[in-house]
Amino acid sequence: MIPDRQPRAFLDPQALARLAAVPLVARKPMVGGVSGRHASPHRGSSVEFAEYRKYVPGDDLRRLDWRAFGRSDRFYVKEYEADTNLRLCLVLDTSGSMGFGGAAQPAAGVRGAGTRADGAAGMRRIDYARRICGTLGYLAAAQGDAVGISCAADGLVRSLPPRRSPAHLRLVFDVLDEAVPTGETRLPEVLHELAETIRQRALVVIVSDLFVEPAALESAFGHLRFRRHDVAVFHLLDPQEMAFAFHRPTRFLDMEGSAAIFADPVEIADRYRRALDDYLAGLRRLVLESGIDYHRVLTSEPVEQVLARFLVGRAAARGLR
Amino acid sequence: MTFLQPWMLVALPLVSLPIVIHLINQRRFQTVPWAAMRFLLSARALSRGYSRLRHWLVMALRMLAVAAVVFAVGRPLSRGWLALAAGGRPDTAIVILDRSPSMAERDGVASDTKLATGRRQVAEALVTLGATRTLLLVDPDRGPVEVADPGALESLPAAGASAAPADMPRLLEAAHDHLRASGAGTTEIWICSDQRSNDWAIDAPAWGGIRDAFARLPQPVRFQLVAFEAASAANVAVRVNAAVLEGRGDERRLSITVALARDAAAGPVTVPVTIEIGGASSTVDVPLAEREAVLAHHAIPLGAATEPRGWGRVSIPADANAADNDFFFVFDEAPPRRTLVVAEEAAAARSLALAAEIPPARGLAATATIVAPGALETSGLEDAALVLWQAPLPDGTDRAALEAHVARGGQVILLPPSRPEETSDRTFAGVGWTAWREHDPPVAPVTWRTDRDLLANTRSGAALPVGGLVARRTCGLAGDVVTLAGLPGGHPLLARAATSEVEGAAGAGPVRPVSNVAFLTTTAAPKDSTLAAEGVVLYCLLQRAIERGLLPLSNVRLVEAGGEAAAILRAGATPRRLSPPVAGAVTEPGWTAGVYALGDRLVAVNRPQAEDAATLVDDARIDEAFAGLALTRIEGQAGGTGRLVQEIWRGFLVAVILALVGEGLLCLPSPLRPETAARGPRAFEAAA
Repeated sequence: MIPDRQPRAFLDPQALARLAAVPLVARKPMVGGVSGRHASPHRGSSVEFAEYRKYVPGDDLRRLDWRAFGRSDRFYVKEYEADTNLRLCLVLDTSGSMGFGGAAQPAAGVRGAGTRADGAAGMRRIDYARRICGTLGYLAAAQGDAVGISCAADGLVRSLPPRRSPAHLRLVFDVLDEAVPTGETRLPEVLHELAETIRQRALVVIVSDLFVEPAALESAFGHLRFRRHDVAVFHLLDPQEMAFAFHRPTRFLDMEGSAAIFADPVEIADRYRRALDDYLAGLRRLVLESGIDYHRVLTSEPVEQVLARFLVGRAAARGLR
Repeated sequence: MTFLQPWMLVALPLVSLPIVIHLINQRRFQTVPWAAMRFLLSARALSRGYSRLRHWLVMALRMLAVAAVVFAVGRPLSRGWLALAAGGRPDTAIVILDRSPSMAERDGVASDTKLATGRRQVAEALVTLGATRTLLLVDPDRGPVEVADPGALESLPAAGASAAPADMPRLLEAAHDHLRASGAGTTEIWICSDQRSNDWAIDAPAWGGIRDAFARLPQPVRFQLVAFEAASAANVAVRVNAAVLEGRGDERRLSITVALARDAAAGPVTVPVTIEIGGASSTVDVPLAEREAVLAHHAIPLGAATEPRGWGRVSIPADANAADNDFFFVFDEAPPRRTLVVAEEAAAARSLALAAEIPPARGLAATATIVAPGALETSGLEDAALVLWQAPLPDGTDRAALEAHVARGGQVILLPPSRPEETSDRTFAGVGWTAWREHDPPVAPVTWRTDRDLLANTRSGAALPVGGLVARRTCGLAGDVVTLAGLPGGHPLLARAATSEVEGAAGAGPVRPVSNVAFLTTTAAPKDSTLAAEGVVLYCLLQRAIERGLLPLSNVRLVEAGGEAAAILRAGATPRRLSPPVAGAVTEPGWTAGVYALGDRLVAVNRPQAEDAATLVDDARIDEAFAGLALTRIEGQAGGTGRLVQEIWRGFLVAVILALVGEGLLCLPSPLRPETAARGPRAFEAAA
């Protein structure tokens, strides 16, 4: 469908073929320039009945519901939903912590972490994020939606506004290819900036490890919601981070540049897990209160499975099959 | 703490093994790039409290376990849980046993005496300690005696009960002399005593020298004092103050004065006192209301007898201390109390003769004869008890006669002549007169010996009024003397010759600790002193001298047990014990109470009177006496079954086990919360 001669490592054709059966839909009405598969706040000419409205002079008489006039002796105009296209804004976290995981991660002293249930090794968080972003971009473009991407690290590193053209999708893929995890995370600030710069309603998909203050995230999500964007979050976590199954004294190097920490994992494992649990519980409470489409993902899970769950959930919420 | 194998303590640095392992483990770290640093920082901040404490506790317990193992291998010894002293296995152990009668006290009818308990406990301790050499010290004159088997200390005859007091200062001096001479290594001196004041003489000036002498010894010396507390049971002691023969023929009777004393005043009791003479015994009930009671001049008819002398025993029923329930006495017709007064002028000798010829008790005959210088040899000196010499120091035949008198035990008191300068080259017993010294104003004695000799306190403890005397003129002395009464400026009023030239001469008899020659540096004349006017002092002085002089003349003698009694019994014919032997007591004559026949003479040996007084020396005074020395006090109790020293390695093994169990408990992982326990990829996926 998309003429792209360059093979993209983050795209799996078979997975794309299977996922294409489920449309990517917005949970909120979108404002698009062309007709599409997504609901619009405006009334249109689709076959989907929307509501009755009292006739006012100037309305097209062809849209009068004569049956209603017969029953009520009043003039009503029958209105239908307008279908429009979607603006998919992918927000990829490219901070240093996204480089964690996969074969590059030393697994000495870690048992049972970094392996999938089917035995396949886990991948780096940035690679996992590339797959999610690439697959969603492809699916959106395939159904005629506009796709854009923004890379967030210690600021807005790169940004491409949403466009519908296939050539633009290649640019998006190029950005994904070239994304290098480095620098600190300033995701909340970037989200605030994007909330101000994305002019029309859009589906904002954030792929990040969310290692930031939950309060700052809450503010950023609120900002996006205020701008009537449909916000979806893929929270990527590595199995090693969850298990923290080290046994020897370890020097932990901060991937985002601050000082290293020397610790005996046996001594602090319990408190590490407790802090992580508290953080995740707080995050869950945050997303429930703000109505974010939140997906916590272990990088050992298959991407296709995660995206299928994401797409099916949205389609089911829309009432589609 | 003491260790039987102290060299094992060189392994103590192994205590640092857990720290070394910890440090090595810390160096074997891995480096991991990590993304979720905020949780690590949070966890590390939380772990600074209890977790850090737990970490150090675990480390401390591991070190404790290693230390306890090392200590256990070193075979630690406990010397009473409250008296742990530093030290190792001694090279030499000297056991000083207080065998005095007070150590025969029991805490109950069936219990052991203090002495038996102390002997057993010290023997067990010595066996445990395994000293290279063990010595027993009970007689300062004989010094320490080697004990081949410390475990057999209990059965040694020399370690048996004695009627003599323990002269602790002299015993310690003997121990010091032995250590200095033998050059022994590390030494432990075990002192087993009940801290009676008469045994310790804690006020004696010798203690300072003893302390300094031990401190100067090159080898380390530790003192272990097994101190027995006073028994709780009531104890009564019996004593005969006087046994005097009265009457003649069929009217012969023995007037005996018996004294009872007990440790503390209690309710009035009646003590049946049994008096046994020549196999016949009679019992007299003596009421005892306070601490003391006296049965005075109790007459026991003896009837006509071929043998004028005899012996007997006074006893009371058994109580806490069996050693003071018997007292032996001997009696005989008293020898005449004959005194010779040799004076330049007969008038000057009248007051002296008057004081000497007044007998101290009824029925005693006392005479005093005034002779001129040069007539001594023909004046019946052989049966005189005392010679008072107020003339130029003897020379020629007088000197020879006087020396013979002194040599057989007779007493001599020399007073200054009117012109001492004329015979200033003469000496007697190493002492000579120098010149008269006028005292204006007159002076009074400021110091005098109250514990012994001619001016000692009376039996009731009252001091003689020596301070009331006034000397207007005294004569100087040249030679070594022991001052018995001193005037201001250190001039002697009464002194005894330090050594007697005649002592040890043929037929001298027993060795006397003091000479029989005394010097009074003034006369009884009113122009010289108030000796005659204040006649009590002069009378007591002379009568005591006569008593001493009568001893070799009498066929019976009452002596206090100890070295002096032993010397008396050793000196003459082989002593034959007349009284039955005392079970568990030393067998050497003179050290245990009883009556001995020494040729024609009878000698009764008894405990000294001071043994009946239950005054104890404060612990603080003993600590003061041993100040600067390593003294460990171990409280003993008569009949106590505990051990003074025991191996406590089992306790250290228990400590190892406890430390390891504690370490294991602290190292147990904390119980996981349900949500934490359920964590894992699958559970996570389900939750997500």
